[in-house]
Amino acid sequence: MFNLIKNEWMKIFRRPGTYVMIALLIVITCIVGAFFKYQETGSNAGPDKNWQQTLQEENDALKKQMEQSRTKIEQDFFKEEIAINDYRIKHNLPEKEKFNVWSFVKQASELITLAGLFTIIISAGIVASEFNWGTIKLLLIRPINRSKILISKYLTVLLFALTMLAILFVFSTALGALLFGMPEHAAPYLNYHNGTVTEQNIVVHLLIYYGLSSIDMIMLATMAFMISSVFRNSSLAIGLSIFLLFTGAQFTALLSLKFAWAKYILFANTNLMQYFEGTPMVEGMTMNFSISILVIYFIIFQFLAFFVFKKRDVAA
Amino acid sequence: MESIVELKNVTKVIKGRTIIDDISFQVNKGEVFGFLGPNGAGKTTTIRMIVGLMAITSGDIAIGGSSIKTQFEDAVRHVGAIVENPEMYKFLSGYQNLIHYARMSKGITKEKIAEVVELVGLSDRIHDKVKTYSLGMRQRLGLAQCLLHDPEVLILDEPTNGLDPAGIREIRDYVRLLAREKNMAVIVSSHLLSEMEMMCDRIGIIQNGQLIDVQQVKEFIQGNETFHELEVIPSETALSIVHANFPDAEANLSRNGISVSLSKEDIPNLVKILVQEEIKIFGIKETAKTLEDRFLEVTKEKEAEAHV
Ligand SMILES: Nc1ncnc2c1ncn2[C@@H]1O[C@H](COP(=O)(O)OP(=O)(O)O)[C@@H](O)[C@H]1O
Ligand SMILES: [Mg+2]
Repeated sequence: MFNLIKNEWMKIFRRPGTYVMIALLIVITCIVGAFFKYQETGSNAGPDKNWQQTLQEENDALKKQMEQSRTKIEQDFFKEEIAINDYRIKHNLPEKEKFNVWSFVKQASELITLAGLFTIIISAGIVASEFNWGTIKLLLIRPINRSKILISKYLTVLLFALTMLAILFVFSTALGALLFGMPEHAAPYLNYHNGTVTEQNIVVHLLIYYGLSSIDMIMLATMAFMISSVFRNSSLAIGLSIFLLFTGAQFTALLSLKFAWAKYILFANTNLMQYFEGTPMVEGMTMNFSISILVIYFIIFQFLAFFVFKKRDVAA
Repeated sequence: MESIVELKNVTKVIKGRTIIDDISFQVNKGEVFGFLGPNGAGKTTTIRMIVGLMAITSGDIAIGGSSIKTQFEDAVRHVGAIVENPEMYKFLSGYQNLIHYARMSKGITKEKIAEVVELVGLSDRIHDKVKTYSLGMRQRLGLAQCLLHDPEVLILDEPTNGLDPAGIREIRDYVRLLAREKNMAVIVSSHLLSEMEMMCDRIGIIQNGQLIDVQQVKEFIQGNETFHELEVIPSETALSIVHANFPDAEANLSRNGISVSLSKEDIPNLVKILVQEEIKIFGIKETAKTLEDRFLEVTKEKEAEAHV
């Protein structure tokens, strides 16, 4: 299996396109960095001296709003805001700390979508290209059954995704440290859960944040992999997956306004962050529900990919 | 002789159409088996089933005693093949391509790769990207890829397609060498008879998905009488004279006159008769029937049988 993955890796990294992707990821991170640097120097407002008072005032306002609010979701939201603000005042943790490396890493994590895009491109091509090139014939007449070949290809896609994420994380940390400096003591991230506020190390928080943000891309890469294996067509796989990567969440959000079944759509569940911060897309959804839905989609995608790939008559 | 590949009543139906119809044959170790048939006859489809690229609708194929259906890995371990064109990863060098395939079989050393590269004569260019290779070089790289794991069965689908005469000859020499020295069983498909004649020990003829004949090449060619070409005018009259006097002989109009299947001893007799009938004779020459004539004959016979 290790040898098979080495082969797939070689086929990805011996093509110039892959380096273009990595270069793009780095260049765009730089552009984002330059943008924030420019903003920072533009508005040189240091931390607010009277931040405690400001927060207190904000809390009073929030409490009033909460009393007037009718929906449970809104009330929960206000409750969380107030709890976190209280915690800040009590433990002397100003909200607006100076923009530092970790703030930048969090901002740059938006680029996970870009890493997702590249992963989808690789995933969409990894089976379909072998058919296009005609090399599938020589690949499948080795003493290795088809399932193993497909597994090695899928694992390679995951490895590629991980590599892209690692590049993004490491590079944005390095660039952030260079441009914005390391904070003397990193302010922790405040987590609100069931009425209590807990502190979380910022790096741990960012890693979790990365992990949760990648679910989207992994699911879509898996879908692209499935389409690529079933239809042997990488353009279709790329087109459909990328389209959904950019529009799936919005579409689902629109549908969820009208239909309760929207909660069964993949994209209603890819953002697990909704259970930590903010509110679920459809009322009544829980973390466990979302994870089950994700697992079901995953199994369906993989089953289709493997079933068709194993049965296929190769006449490329 | 020990058989290594065995097809048993193999049938392939695609979308309701029978592409391969109940084919059975065996190939022995150390033998070059020619798989001969016009385009679209089903050669590639049969080969795809032998190497497990396509499912077999009914029947079975065993390689080295293992069924390609149920013991795929064990069966295909014995096989090296090129199916249709030898497509390689163009963005990799020839060497990287070989490394790629070497990793997929057990126990292939760097030395083995070097040995195979040497054998196919690609040592100079092996580190260049495949996209810079000529068709002949790709064919050789394809051959190298087949030979990495010392297969007992080598399958080449139209290996001489698109090659120049020197390339064709090279392939022919390799094939003979491998069968003789390494005791490999080689299956070569082609739609060109002339090539088969010089390369193969045995030939199976396939037409419209049916295996219509399997014969030793020697018997195949010898199994027919000699022909004589007569350059005569008027040829129609001459033909009817031949028919009248030698009812058993086969006679046809040919380009410059007629051709008849008569033995040498009958020729003086024929000449005498033709001269008496005032036919002008410009020349007579003996022509051995080629594999091609024989092939057309066999296929026609079978067609006729089918229509009865
Ligand atoms: N995947 C396929 N789907 C439908 N028909 C096919 C397929 N592959 C081959 N055929 C048909 O099967 C016949 C045999 O094709 P093939 O095995 O390629 O012939 P050959 O290699 O002898 O030229 C042809 O008539 C071809 O049209
Ligand atoms: Mg063919």
